[in-house]
Amino acid sequence: MKNKSAGFYMMILTAVLAVIGVVFYLINCNTSYFSNLGVNTGLVACMVIAVILELVYVFGYKAPVSRVLDLIPVVCGVLMMVAFVLFISVRANSIASILTFENNAQTMSDLMSAIVGMVFCLLAVIFNIVASFFKVVKDEK
Amino acid sequence: MEEKKNKTKRRLWRGLTTTTASLLALSLSASMVIDTFRTDIDKFLGTQSSQMITESQSEGDYVFQSDYSSTTELLDAIEDLGERMNEEGSVLLKNENHALPLTEEETQKVSLLGFSSYYPVQGGDFGSTLSVNTGTDADTVDFVQALAAKGYSINPTVQNLYENLKGEYESLLTSLWGTSENVNRITAPAIDGTFSSRELSTDTMDSTDSTWRDSMNDYNVMIVTLARAAGENKNYMPGEAGVDPEQNLNQSDPLGLSDTERQIINAAVDAKAENGGKVIVLLNNASAMEIEEIKDNTGVDAILEIGLPGGYGFYGVADVLSGEANPSGHLSDTYAVDNSASPAAQNYGNYSWTNPDSAYSINSEVVYAESIYAGYKYYETRYADVVMGQGNADDAVGSSTGGAWSYDEEVSYPFGYGLSYTTFSQTLDSLEVNLEDRTVTAQVTVTNTGDVAGKDVVQLYVSVPYTDYDRANLVEKSEVQLLDYGKTEELQPGESVTLTLTADAQDMASWDSTCANEAGTTGNYILDAGDYYFTIGNGSHEAVNNVLAAKGYTEADGMTDAGNSANVQTWTLNAMDTASFAYTVNGTAVENQLADMDLNYYMPGTVTYLTRADWSGTWPKTYENLTATDEMLDIMDNDTYEITAQGDTDAITWGADNGLTLSELKGADYDDEQWDELMDQLNLEDAMIRTGFGGTSTKAIESISSPEVIQNDGPNGINSYTLGQYANTDENSSDPYVVSEDDPNLNYKFGTMCNETVIGQTFSKELAAEYGRVIGNYSIWSNLTIFWGAGTNLHRTPYNARNHEYYSEDPVLTAYQAASYIAAGKEYGVIIAPKHYAFNDTEINRSGIATFMTEQTARENGLRGIQAAVEDAETLGVMTTYNRIGITAGNAHYGLLMNILRGEWGFKGLMSEDFIQDANYSVLKEAVHCGVTMTCNTGDSTMEAISAKWDYWTTDNVSQDAVLMQDLKNVMKWQYYAIANSNAMDGLNETSKIVEVRTWYDNALTAAQVVFAVLTIAGIVMYIRNMKKEK
Repeated sequence: MKNKSAGFYMMILTAVLAVIGVVFYLINCNTSYFSNLGVNTGLVACMVIAVILELVYVFGYKAPVSRVLDLIPVVCGVLMMVAFVLFISVRANSIASILTFENNAQTMSDLMSAIVGMVFCLLAVIFNIVASFFKVVKDEK
Repeated sequence: MEEKKNKTKRRLWRGLTTTTASLLALSLSASMVIDTFRTDIDKFLGTQSSQMITESQSEGDYVFQSDYSSTTELLDAIEDLGERMNEEGSVLLKNENHALPLTEEETQKVSLLGFSSYYPVQGGDFGSTLSVNTGTDADTVDFVQALAAKGYSINPTVQNLYENLKGEYESLLTSLWGTSENVNRITAPAIDGTFSSRELSTDTMDSTDSTWRDSMNDYNVMIVTLARAAGENKNYMPGEAGVDPEQNLNQSDPLGLSDTERQIINAAVDAKAENGGKVIVLLNNASAMEIEEIKDNTGVDAILEIGLPGGYGFYGVADVLSGEANPSGHLSDTYAVDNSASPAAQNYGNYSWTNPDSAYSINSEVVYAESIYAGYKYYETRYADVVMGQGNADDAVGSSTGGAWSYDEEVSYPFGYGLSYTTFSQTLDSLEVNLEDRTVTAQVTVTNTGDVAGKDVVQLYVSVPYTDYDRANLVEKSEVQLLDYGKTEELQPGESVTLTLTADAQDMASWDSTCANEAGTTGNYILDAGDYYFTIGNGSHEAVNNVLAAKGYTEADGMTDAGNSANVQTWTLNAMDTASFAYTVNGTAVENQLADMDLNYYMPGTVTYLTRADWSGTWPKTYENLTATDEMLDIMDNDTYEITAQGDTDAITWGADNGLTLSELKGADYDDEQWDELMDQLNLEDAMIRTGFGGTSTKAIESISSPEVIQNDGPNGINSYTLGQYANTDENSSDPYVVSEDDPNLNYKFGTMCNETVIGQTFSKELAAEYGRVIGNYSIWSNLTIFWGAGTNLHRTPYNARNHEYYSEDPVLTAYQAASYIAAGKEYGVIIAPKHYAFNDTEINRSGIATFMTEQTARENGLRGIQAAVEDAETLGVMTTYNRIGITAGNAHYGLLMNILRGEWGFKGLMSEDFIQDANYSVLKEAVHCGVTMTCNTGDSTMEAISAKWDYWTTDNVSQDAVLMQDLKNVMKWQYYAIANSNAMDGLNETSKIVEVRTWYDNALTAAQVVFAVLTIAGIVMYIRNMKKEK
């Protein structure tokens, strides 16, 4: 671990944020109000692939294929951004409805997991961008 | 060193590439999402993504004409009407010693008390919210501004005191986007919230400025304003349960007074004792407040009910106070001593099923166990039965005092009551019932017997026989019910006028669910054999006293007043009539359609409905903790229409090339044969997409060259958009209503009219119609055609905080105000749609609440409130409801939507769901089958998008079902028939065609995509170059 650099920790943090984001999305999909909308597989797939790639990136960096792995943050950025936009897209109408016509304690409570999930997804996108400027290991090839 | 530098550069390029690639992904995915929300984005930004191109356009292509030549004239008309609405819609309830009107001298000595005098409620918290306008030709005003404009002088000491303390009476208001803000006016509680009184204590006022009491010696006209707010998705809970438990202000009901409100009234009364002035209380509310203690307070000289006056109504209030206008409003609701003691209030609350299921919007239920006895129909009928000594009416059950039931203990001011600065006499000269014509015609002479000019309202009531047949068959009869009403022009002292009222005789018929009918089933309108008493009066109570007097009763029998039998005309029916209303106006035989709204239909013996045959024995209990049976749950899962291969699908034509456009059917009759040819041009996909995604605007369809038609919310004016957002600013256009781009009125927003309760209180069909004309003119100038603008639900109880969007507790007053308004607007091509069809009388769990009642209650109360808007005004639009009809989703009840609305009443027009976003509860396939022309969802106009929302809504599925395809054809025809007869077609002709328009945001997004793509490529290139250098 001594060899790890700032990028490592930031990428790990990015993966954690992304996982939290997708977990909150799935929680939200099971709330009373949102359960009828189903689960958007594209959103989940983008996030899960991004997280896996992040982990491959940070833990596999010393492998001979590091120069290929080096571009993983770019791919992850794209995937997480697409997931984030999908998240907003599939919830926008419901959010508008809850905040206007269906505002009550139950719907606001259901909405909260969506808001939290979106915030974490956005944070994951931002941290991924920031992390991509840093090296993962001190003796980066 | 060089290698390290290269590595750093490589990471820099990697980082930059990640940034630009992420932004590229954002811009690319955003462009896909934009198509889904294009309507709302256009609405927000004021852009248009498609437009109609018309060749050889001429003024002749503009069918509907405005009465005004400029936006200034238009706004002046709105402002003028808003002022007159409150002149005629404010109700003078008490006026001891002629305290009102004020003399000119007194207008210079006004002390405004109560924070609501400075921060009044002018519209709803949400829904019919006041649009504050500045910098236009019709800027909105509050009470203080209106008084100043009318030349009043206001006590500056008290005014400053309230201003200095405004942090003390803040209320939290959750705004449109969930953010909270503090406002200084009172707000209505959330669905699960309680009311918090914000009135300042006099201790606080004394400790802040001890001179405020003495300052009233110089300003001794003390006007105290008490307010209760209103709002969509807001609610007052009856009794102490509805009051903030943290406050100990001796408040027994959210609509009753708090101690701090009592303090401020008493402070005014105490000051009056010293300074010899006057105390006037203004009620700034839409839900009837409990004001018995103010009525009884001898120190209070006058009470004026002003409703929610909107942006200009306070000008009218100021004129009423000064006598510039003579009040002629009458209450559209009963003001009860204790609202929670009514039979309807026994079942007003949040009654969750024991087996709720949010997946299917199964949440709670409400039982209208009061039967037809809501509002005055309860109070006056029970009173009459006390006098007549029948039905255990004087029992203590339902009494707010705990003793024997007594009218005087229950009602402060009756429905229809109102005072004037002058006096009038009314005589019922003649009365004719003509069942063949379905009319009741009354002639009433009104004479101004006082010494100032004024207008008067004539209220025609009927008392129908309550017979043994009714008792045996549970047909309920209100002792009096409003049959029609009219308003005089201004009468000078001594002047007389004779009004002729022509009522719809069906409004006195009763629905009997057991009666045989012409359809060969059961359920029919009946007129019982017996004597029918017709009378007039200043409100329902005077009317019932007249009837009782005519029946031979006196004050010795317990009447509150002797009544005037001379103003009663009788008409006798020798045998029960089951034929006169067995067919509706359009020739449809009536029958039971709503039997499943009675909870006993599914759960026999569960509900006992209130009957006047035994008030005490059938007094409503609260129906709660109910468990839906499996049979009920099968319906409540909202999947009641199965798409299946059926019928001759080849007989239904889609995509024909008949060469027609919608413009060629401008103004065409519904029976015009070309409609079928035009509808054949539609693609199945067109019909499926437009029924599913009908929200916020009705989108253009290329195959029939139909324009996009913008939808707007109300009812306090077309308030969704500014006047300028869709106004035509093209100076080269043939449009007679082109506006200049620098017109200061383009930013005007028409959410400025008073609330509907005030319009109800005018009892003036002419003013209602005038509002329709103003809306129509505004629609022409603003190019905003569809308006969800006539609230026709009833004030079942005062606790529904959305009552401000509805006229009254009475269906006849509701129906004819709405019908007058809608019909007048139609002359200008605006589609004013009544809402919410039907029974949306509470906001509690409105999306899914199961609403139970007898069919008699449904037809004589809720449905009667909208029937005239369809049959008489021939509305071209209707909005359906959130709630369930019985247990069936509101958009899936065939009996209500197809058999009654479109069948019995002959509705031909577009019909939208309310804002139901849940795919299951919006019941698309069921809704289309039931004649609903569009849901209120939005999305990309593709089958992929719509099938993603409703997975059964695919062309493969629907194309095998000839019944559903015919339903689609029907709803499309209704929808486009309405549009073809609206001002949305103005400026179009047979050459009109749709073209897509790239908006500025489309271009901006494309530019962003290009830039980010270039940067990403550049980043990758630089990254690779650095990598090579490292090697």
